[in-house]
Amino acid sequence: MEILRTAPNPWGQEVLVGVAWDLLWAAAIAGFVFVVGHHLYVWIMAPKAPKTAPEPAQEVPERVERHSQASRTFHWLMAATMLTLLVTAFFPVIGVQFAWVTIHWIAGIVLTLLIIWHIIHASTKQDFWSVWTGAKEIGQAFQAAGKFLRRQPAKEERSGKYPLDQRAYHNAVTLVSLGVIVTGILMMVGVDTWFWASNPYFLSDSTWGLVFVLHGLCGVVLVTMVIAHVYFAIRPEKRWMTRSMIKGWITREEYLEHYDPDLWKLGTEPAGAELAGGSASSADPDGVVPA
Amino acid sequence: MAVIRDMMPAFELFQPTSVDEALDVLERHDNTWVLAGGLDSMDWFKDRIKRPDVVVELGSVSELTGIRASGDGLEIGAMTSLRDVVANEDVRSRFGLLADAAAQVATPQIRNQGTLGGNLIQDTRCWYYRGGWPCYRAGGNICYAGTPRSMNREHAVTGQSRCVAVNGADTAGALVALGAQMLVRSAGGERVYEAEDFFVGPEIDIERMTVLEPGDLLTHVHIPGDWAGARFYWETARDRKSWDWALASVAAAIVESNGTIERARIAINGVAPTPVRLTDVEDLIQGMPANDDTGMAAGELATRGFKPLRHNDYKVPLARNLVRRAVRGDMA
Amino acid sequence: MALIGQDISPPDLRAKVTGRARYAEDFRAEGMVFAKLLLSPMPHARVRSLDASRALAMPGVLGILRASEVNQPDAPGEAALTDEPKYVGEPILALAAVDETTAADAIELIDIDLEPLPFAIDPLDSLRPGGPDARLEGNVRRFGESGPEWDSLKWPQSEFDAAEAEGRLPMGPPEDEWSHGDLDAAFADADYVLEDTIVHQSLTHHPMEPRSSMAYWEDGRCYLYGSTQSTQRTHQALAGQLGLEPDDVVFVGQYCGGGFGSKIAGATIYQVTALLARKIQRPVMMRINRYEENYIGRARPGFQAWTKMGFRSDGKITGIDLYIVQDHGPYGRSGDYNTAGAVTDLMYQPDAMRFRGLTLYTNTPPRAAQRAPGGAQIVAMLEPLVDKAARELGIDRVEIRKINAPTHDSEFGPQRATTTSAFVREAIDAGAAQFDWAGKQALSGQRNGTKVTGVGVGLSPYVGGSSGFDGLLLIRPDGKLYIHQGIGNLGTHSMADTARAAADELGLEWDDCAVIWGDSSQHHPYSAVQAGSQTIHAHTRANYAAALDMKRKLQEVAAAALGGAASAYRVEGARVTGPGGSMGFAQAAERAIAMGGEYSGQELPEDINNYTRGSATQLAGQGLMGVARDNFSHEGSTWSWVVGFAVVELDTETGDVVLVDYTGSADCGVVVHPRSLAAQIHGGSVQGFGQARSQKWVYDPKWGVPFAHRLYTARPPGILDVPLSMDWAAAGEPDPQTPIGAKGIGEPPVGAGSAAVTSAIADALGGRCLCRIPLTTDVILAELEGRAQPHALTEIHS
Repeated sequence: MEILRTAPNPWGQEVLVGVAWDLLWAAAIAGFVFVVGHHLYVWIMAPKAPKTAPEPAQEVPERVERHSQASRTFHWLMAATMLTLLVTAFFPVIGVQFAWVTIHWIAGIVLTLLIIWHIIHASTKQDFWSVWTGAKEIGQAFQAAGKFLRRQPAKEERSGKYPLDQRAYHNAVTLVSLGVIVTGILMMVGVDTWFWASNPYFLSDSTWGLVFVLHGLCGVVLVTMVIAHVYFAIRPEKRWMTRSMIKGWITREEYLEHYDPDLWKLGTEPAGAELAGGSASSADPDGVVPA
Repeated sequence: MAVIRDMMPAFELFQPTSVDEALDVLERHDNTWVLAGGLDSMDWFKDRIKRPDVVVELGSVSELTGIRASGDGLEIGAMTSLRDVVANEDVRSRFGLLADAAAQVATPQIRNQGTLGGNLIQDTRCWYYRGGWPCYRAGGNICYAGTPRSMNREHAVTGQSRCVAVNGADTAGALVALGAQMLVRSAGGERVYEAEDFFVGPEIDIERMTVLEPGDLLTHVHIPGDWAGARFYWETARDRKSWDWALASVAAAIVESNGTIERARIAINGVAPTPVRLTDVEDLIQGMPANDDTGMAAGELATRGFKPLRHNDYKVPLARNLVRRAVRGDMA
Repeated sequence: MALIGQDISPPDLRAKVTGRARYAEDFRAEGMVFAKLLLSPMPHARVRSLDASRALAMPGVLGILRASEVNQPDAPGEAALTDEPKYVGEPILALAAVDETTAADAIELIDIDLEPLPFAIDPLDSLRPGGPDARLEGNVRRFGESGPEWDSLKWPQSEFDAAEAEGRLPMGPPEDEWSHGDLDAAFADADYVLEDTIVHQSLTHHPMEPRSSMAYWEDGRCYLYGSTQSTQRTHQALAGQLGLEPDDVVFVGQYCGGGFGSKIAGATIYQVTALLARKIQRPVMMRINRYEENYIGRARPGFQAWTKMGFRSDGKITGIDLYIVQDHGPYGRSGDYNTAGAVTDLMYQPDAMRFRGLTLYTNTPPRAAQRAPGGAQIVAMLEPLVDKAARELGIDRVEIRKINAPTHDSEFGPQRATTTSAFVREAIDAGAAQFDWAGKQALSGQRNGTKVTGVGVGLSPYVGGSSGFDGLLLIRPDGKLYIHQGIGNLGTHSMADTARAAADELGLEWDDCAVIWGDSSQHHPYSAVQAGSQTIHAHTRANYAAALDMKRKLQEVAAAALGGAASAYRVEGARVTGPGGSMGFAQAAERAIAMGGEYSGQELPEDINNYTRGSATQLAGQGLMGVARDNFSHEGSTWSWVVGFAVVELDTETGDVVLVDYTGSADCGVVVHPRSLAAQIHGGSVQGFGQARSQKWVYDPKWGVPFAHRLYTARPPGILDVPLSMDWAAAGEPDPQTPIGAKGIGEPPVGAGSAAVTSAIADALGGRCLCRIPLTTDVILAELEGRAQPHALTEIHS
């Protein structure tokens, strides 16, 4: 399988021009294998963790707000742009031809603006670090991985608002998205828009090659990640989370089952309490809330 | 790897005698190339930029040559030589537009060897692309012809989408104006395209000029009788009177009655990555007298929104004037 | 009847039309293999590393030749192969293999690492502060008191700013400057002064036959088959390049499919074939294809120029100020721009003139003389401006040229040189009559639908002869006259036409003559290069001198055999006849062989060239020899003239130009061969039409890579760009300073054709000069539509 494409530049020097589209298939297959593998694992082999009885330590309303209106709007808008970007990027590669360039870059700009909004919003209105992976989370990850490997039924640790896997996913998506966005913004220099004419000599040809390779790599990684994300979103045991991204709330039981009230303290975050039974909950973010 | 040009590398040559056989060869091999008259292909081969392993030469496929009546129109085999198209009495008397366009292609020698199908699907003459530069059309990331300093007097003034190359096929505009259909066969069966849908711009597919994909063969061109005997206008503007591609060309079929334009079909080429059918102009001039005012209005409308590059601003008035002449009814 | 002035069939005609003529590519030798070149992909680079091991390991590959194995002359000389290529397309190495496909495949396996170096494509870029130099040594070569030296010449930014503000060529300090008269006074005296910046592109020669060659070695002797304009000079040059004595090189080049100045003394690249053949001990054929020919095939230098011209109300040109920046390529030193200055002064005879100029090294293919080097460019640039003045002053455009044309004793140039003759007005009159100037002039500006008629006239002088070469003749015992010609055969018929000076002097029919040419083993005399229109002048003289020598010897041989005074014998009808009777040439040849000494070439004149001496020595004893140096005197240089008249139809909606009528009229002295003269006038003019209308170079400025490297992108004119009606005329006045009275004619038709077309286009545009050559559709249409010109004022390779 080819990973990178090179071509002789006008002076006969071999330069990178992009990723080989074989990678797209590899990414899709990786996503598929993960989905099938995970499903089989859960279905056949996964040890059932004993359900921990939630002990209400405080007054918990019937419905706990998990995602604010703004967060949910952000998430779905971002999902739409991301899908648009992936479809416009990869459908032509697999042979579905249409005029994709303008849609693609406009969607790219929308995504960029959304993410800028998200960063500002998260850093001003939310607990910015609540979804980031720190040393503690990494330690937990190692423990979980160890248990998984030993096939020990891990007692499901109740987490803070964002459990480890969500945090890890968020971090990975952040990295990859920033990769496509930064390279994509650079690539905007190479297309004609209503505001400027293309200037292909903005970067040297070998630098362009690198930019295209990064954009392509991040793009195909996103394919795998989106497959995984959608998969988890529709898994039965995760549907309560999907629902929360649509409706905004989780039930009291779900809260107590999955979250450690010490780590996700209701009513401590600066946010607008919009829900009826909601003590002040997060007006939270982050598009990507999978597993 | 050092670069060497103008010296053809070896390839495996197939000379099938039927379309089925040709499709079979295309189906069984990778990295194939279909060779008609060879005038475009040989350049690519000699410069070692396009390097097929397998070349399928169609010169012996007799079902692909010849011109015959089909319904109220004509069906022309894709491998029919341009000379035979020009010389054909039916083409000349009923669809003179195509005869005029084909007669202007390159030189007599090239028209003897070149085919209608080959002329239609010829690759663009963008010299950056043909020079083997790793541009978008060649699978790269840059349009070298579109930069503010590029040499692009022969490039597109409209329809650019990252790539600014133009379609240079003289017969393409004529067939769009005649409302022709392209018959394409592949292992999967036959498809029919309207001429204007047959050509593909870079916004759709930056690496191809037509809908043809590997394994496809353009077998025939069908010209319906709709425009038979209409007033035709063909003109190509170029730097030399022979062996040159159009800086811009116009092909028009116009039916008039009582001094007004009843209906028209007009295409320009050499200005965009595909031949451009001017449907707005066709609508505009319907019912108007064929005179210079109408022509000028048509030309202005045709070129509205053109975006010239550094060196090709002249193509805007050129295309405008060609349309103007076609509409006002100059003798071609 | 004298042969001079008659149409004849040249001796190569049959072979050419039947295909029996063998060009370099047609030769074969036992065990012959093929060579291909690796060309530089960069405009300027250094070979950092090169690994050919994979190529050499390929079956069928026989060897490579590197730069270190060929003669490397001092800068700015050009080597056949280089490790520091200075233009895209410059040969870096050659590889031999059993066939061309294998050779090309092998070249692709060569791993080459090139270090890009700074490059300059537009000369003006090189002059900007901080601008790139085309060579590591600099961008100009200055001839100071201590000999030539390199410099990196930069003009101040203020000059570029001023030029931009004023919309003119930047003109910093020039490298060359000369003047005569009081220029300020001349312009003060003028009633009309014009000033313009004009750009003329570079043009590749593109002869139909590229410079292919085949070579092999036998007993230490090199046999090389090539394409050349000048056989003897190529033989000599090749021997020099290979470090061999001329006797150790056999050069064969009987036919030449065009040279136009690009094959004057062969080609540098022939060394590669010869040295590779020696290295691998096999005959080597190197076929040069069109792509390679574009790069190594030489080109005409482009000009970026500015001029100011002053005219008195009577049409007399009072002063000319001319500045030329020449685009030079990376090697040698082209004199086109200096010649252009001299041509301007000669043609217009201003009271005062200043010429300033410089030639800049650039990373574009090497320049060489191209048919009227310097002349063809400048006349096409200036003639429309003279029209502009004529229009302004209300003077007929033909008349204004006659008013300013030189006479026999006119002076010109920095040395105030003179010409041997100048029947310019006679040529103009003959042409104007033939063309019907008065009648055609009435068509000027006439409209037919969207087409407007333009009528143009362009005058074009060029050097038309040299002298001091040798003639070598032999009457063999078969009674035939063998005329040994060291000049080439590039389709001008010179090798036959100049032979007729000898045939006529000896009273022979053409069938009694055999021309020996194109093969150094057949022994040539020291000859002029067949370039610069020299040969008809130089070799009618040399052959005439040899014929006089032969005639004397015939008389003496006859007198010795038959008795009586030698002077009493007449030579006519292939016989020598006198008081003692008559003897045929066959007999005379037998007698000469018997007599020996100078009669059969055993003793030779002192003043002939050593090369001729060698050839004559080889021929000695085989017949009656006539051998002599051209010692006829003349004062001043020999110049020929052509005036072109053109009618064009310019379409005001498309900018298209159709050339409908053309007449060229020459002052080339005595017309030696009318049909050949017509071919020269017409052929050269057609080249000029392409120069004026379509042919050009295009370079991407960012990468320094050219695009017009195929015939279809370079766009020389095609047959449909040539008018259906083409005519010619000649003044026919003999040059008084040369025995036959003939002057060369190869050069001036190009400028005449080009200038007549640029003049006619300006006329069709109502007198507007676009000051750019070629005048392509885009340039014309932008002017007609009042839109921005597609090329910037001084942009040259666009």
